[in-house]
Amino acid sequence: MKPLAGIRIADFTVHAAGPFCTHMLSQLGAECIKIETALRPDIFRKSHAIYGRAGPATFDQVSSNKLSVRLNLKHPDGVALAKRLVAISDIAAESFRAGVMARLGLSYKDLRAVRDDIIMVSVSSSGQTGPDSHFAGYAPLFGAWGGLGHLSGHADGPPVEMRHVMDHSVGLHAAMATAAALHQRRRTGKGCHVDVAAREVASSLVGDALTAASAGAQPERMGNDDLRHAPHGLYATKDDDRWLSIAVENDAEWRVFAELIGRADLATDARFALETTRHSNRKALDPIITNWSRTKVGEQAAAQLQQAGIAAHLSWTAADIVSDPHMRLRDAIIDVAETNGTIRAAVGRPYRFSSDPSLGITGGTPEFGGAEDYVFGDLLGLTRPEIDALIDAKAIY
Amino acid sequence: MNSDKPLTGIRVIEHASGVAAAHAGRLFCLLGAETIMVEATGHSPLRQEPPFIDQEGSSSALFAYLAAGKRSTICDLTATAGKLAFDHLLATADILIDDTPVADRAALGLSPAQIAKNHPHLVHLSVLPFGAIGPKAGWKGTELNLIHAGGEGYLLPNGLSADLFPDRPPLKIAGHFAQMQGGVAAAYAGLAALWTDQGQFVDASVQDANVMVGAFGIQRFGDGSVEHRQTRSFRYGGVIECRDGFVELLMLEERQWQGLITLMGSPDWAHDPEFESVLGRSARGDEINRHIRAWARGWAVENLVARAQEQGVPMARYNEPAHILTGAHETERGIFLDVETENGTMVKVQSLPCRFCAQSLPIDGAVPRPGADQHLLEFGASDKRIGG
Repeated sequence: MKPLAGIRIADFTVHAAGPFCTHMLSQLGAECIKIETALRPDIFRKSHAIYGRAGPATFDQVSSNKLSVRLNLKHPDGVALAKRLVAISDIAAESFRAGVMARLGLSYKDLRAVRDDIIMVSVSSSGQTGPDSHFAGYAPLFGAWGGLGHLSGHADGPPVEMRHVMDHSVGLHAAMATAAALHQRRRTGKGCHVDVAAREVASSLVGDALTAASAGAQPERMGNDDLRHAPHGLYATKDDDRWLSIAVENDAEWRVFAELIGRADLATDARFALETTRHSNRKALDPIITNWSRTKVGEQAAAQLQQAGIAAHLSWTAADIVSDPHMRLRDAIIDVAETNGTIRAAVGRPYRFSSDPSLGITGGTPEFGGAEDYVFGDLLGLTRPEIDALIDAKAIY
Repeated sequence: MNSDKPLTGIRVIEHASGVAAAHAGRLFCLLGAETIMVEATGHSPLRQEPPFIDQEGSSSALFAYLAAGKRSTICDLTATAGKLAFDHLLATADILIDDTPVADRAALGLSPAQIAKNHPHLVHLSVLPFGAIGPKAGWKGTELNLIHAGGEGYLLPNGLSADLFPDRPPLKIAGHFAQMQGGVAAAYAGLAALWTDQGQFVDASVQDANVMVGAFGIQRFGDGSVEHRQTRSFRYGGVIECRDGFVELLMLEERQWQGLITLMGSPDWAHDPEFESVLGRSARGDEINRHIRAWARGWAVENLVARAQEQGVPMARYNEPAHILTGAHETERGIFLDVETENGTMVKVQSLPCRFCAQSLPIDGAVPRPGADQHLLEFGASDKRIGG
């Protein structure tokens, strides 16, 4: 049985971070009811021309397994139905700007009134409190606010904008926090309101640098460099735009590495023999290593280095990942069948449970409002005429 | 000691030498689990990792961040007495986190079979760069390797940095992003396993966690397109330089674009009919960005961001560490806490990036000295839990 089987989520989330949270929960068996409306469709169901493409973004991945229903939350009967749904759920998740749920009549207090032990999870850019809590934001802004963007990039270049990994990291943190809240509820009988601030997730990911800065250090952008280790970088290989990451972690590894690249003389070269001097002279190492790496096929070189005990991996594209036997064996990459029969690669669970070998994704992208008979009929007990009347009134819309 | 945290009453044993496993332990600890590090006789290697708090390099900020609030014991798992003490400790625990390489586990009594036999109640949470099974289970992986094994590294940098340095190799994200994804994924999996009330082995992989958060690229591939760092930039907006720093600007909705036009004083160029649609704007994104960049250079970051947010235009300052440590928003939310390091220095450590019912969870305790809680390895002493 899946670990979270029996848990039900009323999912009000939109965009990327919030839906990723409920996606992580649904991959472990939680029943996730996605609440949508034609009034303002989740923009991740739509195309994003600003990204330079015609199709939707991550919607297929994060909406898999989910059950879609329509609810117009600007209609009182829509709100009433939402509350009935919350009343039979363990978790209510949302990712609007702070204050929106309250304006809709769906604040934590409102939801507690219909289910006292509800766990409400709010995912927002800056949290539910604080002077910036009303700020709008997306992943690149989270990274900017949190310092992750400022600290990423070349030493002589500008900051780097974080993309969907930032959103999804927020969602992953939110799923983890939700699981913790479930444990708390089991112990105390009480629900709670979990407030996940995306900018705080970003800053937590450079928390060590912030701690160092609090003691007077001045962390800076440093490209692919490491504060201690060298060589530590990306090196060109025989094939165009195929880069090999190499990280030598100590002097013993350095000696092995020098021999492996046919430069045993470097092992005793005073510039490179010790970690400290090697790090100081790391720029001089790069052309030497590139002379070796650019004669090599990347995957073979990575395997050769790993065989010698040196951390190395090719900089992988999506094509590499999707076809990798290791990822496939772990079910970290799986094939998903869409309702139209199309098979596409998707990302499965990034962990394996000895008690549950099942796949994380068992259903493809839900049709808009496709689960209303089950949710409104079977779960909430509405009759067909009642459902039709709510549709006519555009409460279900 | 706060006795009412989400994981109060849960005991976690952390046998970790890498960031990912230690980060999972940090999350458990801050959530209220009593988290006991079991360090080897040479102590956790993370104690020696930069960045450092002091110029002498005797106190690691990374370790302080990862270990604040945890307890520390030293135990030699190669010796019989150490194994016995460790076993006794495990008998009192709910979760064991371990990142020992697969090939070394059996000798230390840490194979899944050994743990399952002796401690069937336990959630045995393995956290490894490439997981515990599969052809690459034995591979080494540092932060640099893992951000690239997960796919995101190949796609960085994007935006302005990619424009400026098109011939440079791909770039990692700052710090330990990849390993921390591994840590949070592992912590989530550990909690889910614990939820089942069934002792079991959980095999978490840092690479898999990074592929998970990079799922966008996989979906795009399935849709028939491959992303590349030099083509996935936003067509307009992105990293914008101002008079005294950088801001990020991203507009996904029409009203946000209209807000920007208003903010810019409704310039003539913005009323080009082709700019009325997102497609039209995207096709001439470079031209739009030239206008935005020329305009933004005259602004101070703080003023511009405040005005932009008033207009509903998503914009943020690229905050430097000092901005975050002293920011009004961060200060009001109380996300940084004073923590004493193992050598007595006071530093700021961020709490969890989430709150439970308006509470910013405190960090209970200091950065532990090696073996500060050695008594927990004495028979009988470990039976009593904090907050249990």
